[in-house]
Amino acid sequence: MLSFILKRLLSSIPVIFMVVLITFILVRLAPGGPFSDERKVPPIVLENLNKRYHLDDPVYVQFFDYIGNVLQGDFGPSFKYANRSVSEIIYSGLPITVELGLYALLVAIVIGITSGVIAALRPNTWQDYVPMSFSMLGICLPSFVLGPLLILIFGIWVQWLPVSGWGDAPFDKVLPSFTLGAAYAAYMARLSRGGMLDVMSQDYIRTARAKGLPNWLVVVRHGLNSGLAPVVTFAGPAAAGLLSGSFVVESVFQIPGMGRFYLQAAFNRDYTMILGTTIVFSVLIVLFNLLADILMVWMNPRLRHARN
Amino acid sequence: MQEIEQGSSLTHDAYLRLKKNKLAMLSLYLLSALLILAVLTPWIAPYSYEQQDLELGASPPAVAHWFGTDVLGRDQLTRVLYGSRISLAVGLVATFVALCIGVLYGAIAGFVGGRVDQVMMRLVDVLYALPFAIFIILLTVVFGRSILLLFLAIGAVEWLTMARIIRGQVLSLKQQEFIQAATAMGQTRWQILRKHLIPNAIGPIVIYTTLTIPSVILLESFLSFLGLGIQPPQSSWGSLISYGVETMEEYPWLLVIPGLTLSLTLFSLNFLGDGLRDALDPRTSKD
Repeated sequence: MLSFILKRLLSSIPVIFMVVLITFILVRLAPGGPFSDERKVPPIVLENLNKRYHLDDPVYVQFFDYIGNVLQGDFGPSFKYANRSVSEIIYSGLPITVELGLYALLVAIVIGITSGVIAALRPNTWQDYVPMSFSMLGICLPSFVLGPLLILIFGIWVQWLPVSGWGDAPFDKVLPSFTLGAAYAAYMARLSRGGMLDVMSQDYIRTARAKGLPNWLVVVRHGLNSGLAPVVTFAGPAAAGLLSGSFVVESVFQIPGMGRFYLQAAFNRDYTMILGTTIVFSVLIVLFNLLADILMVWMNPRLRHARN
Repeated sequence: MQEIEQGSSLTHDAYLRLKKNKLAMLSLYLLSALLILAVLTPWIAPYSYEQQDLELGASPPAVAHWFGTDVLGRDQLTRVLYGSRISLAVGLVATFVALCIGVLYGAIAGFVGGRVDQVMMRLVDVLYALPFAIFIILLTVVFGRSILLLFLAIGAVEWLTMARIIRGQVLSLKQQEFIQAATAMGQTRWQILRKHLIPNAIGPIVIYTTLTIPSVILLESFLSFLGLGIQPPQSSWGSLISYGVETMEEYPWLLVIPGLTLSLTLFSLNFLGDGLRDALDPRTSKD
């Protein structure tokens, strides 16, 4: 197990390196520097600016300088916000995005798995049809439609919940978490339903029943473990989706997280900011994939032996 | 001739199975109607795309304007129709790009096998780990925001799953006897790939293509909603939704109507994809 984890950890290093390299090259390919638009800057000032931000060094020197700095947690100065470093902005935004993502994941797991398992235990009854129709709805209502609709209904018409902000009002985290989590709850419901349906028709479940185990114990002790395997496989991509979904949710609900800073950086052509946020997002996604892999191997002993 | 006859009868079987699935057929009709409307838009749209009625301003749905008008007095039905042209075009073209790359890549990897296969699939694994929404945003920053780039960028990130599926198909087909027979008859590898392997993998290709279109449309709307996709004066469903959000408090129909149109389209495409999977590949039923 440990050697598997180590191996996977090592193999994610080249992935992250490639992300950094590709991002760096792409950003350098971009036409127009960060100082080239808006007002005209006198040539001498431009030269000084380039010097201050080391833009006059050869590109490969810049690249390795940058890698070195990033390894020390320094993402360089922001090109647009003269007084703030990228690291500062990331440190202020990242906890919020991660918190939002975790709440959304919680929503997805609790609602998704519960309704999926219930549907699988009573197939082709209303307990199956109702949650499955909702899950289809959840998949087809993108977050940028669902979020505004929820704001319209719960924030403006019935006024039960606050519509924007993060941590200012007691319940302002409810709508964003639900908006972000809904689609994943829907996927998880379908996946756990499929997985549970497969498992519950297996012989060993019948054996467990035959030896007189109460139904809920059969489900909890014997069914869930392998029935939820497809959900675990989905956890990695889900985490990636949750992070990029945060772009929409953060801008709809005006939450000062990483997603919003990333978008601003994209609009402003703030090179260092784009580089920094892309790297942080990628590392997070690679780590989540890793976690999902480990969890999968841990839950399924057969895989454990195959990999060792 | 015989081959063709047999092929059509298999397709006919699949069609009969599909016909039994009412939801999938309903989706098919809805999508066909939408496609026809989108193609005919310039001739059937009730107003011209640029026409404004500033005195009218935003008005709720009425007889003169079925879907109401936006703040500039533009007919919302016309805007949704023109938007559907762009959304569907992006969906189809980008999926086609993804299809070409994915099928070719997967088929070659599966067919050549060995170390080439390992390297090619390892690359796919690596690409899977990358945050794509972020990369497309990055591409729009680097190359400017154009519709052509949108086609290519979305197509270039959506081919991975297709490549995996085709590779799996080709790997399992490769073992079968008719491929051996073809080799024995002296066909070249390229001929075998083109004439035997890809046509036999057509079922999964069709199914997965239908399921790729909605995710491509969703991705385009996502980008347009954020302001990074389709740029004014053109507008897709995503950008209409984003305009709708700005004024949803006063004029909710400007958000609800394009939102519903988009959701209904995604709904239909997903149902049709599921139905096609059941019809073309009865072994793997839905759940």
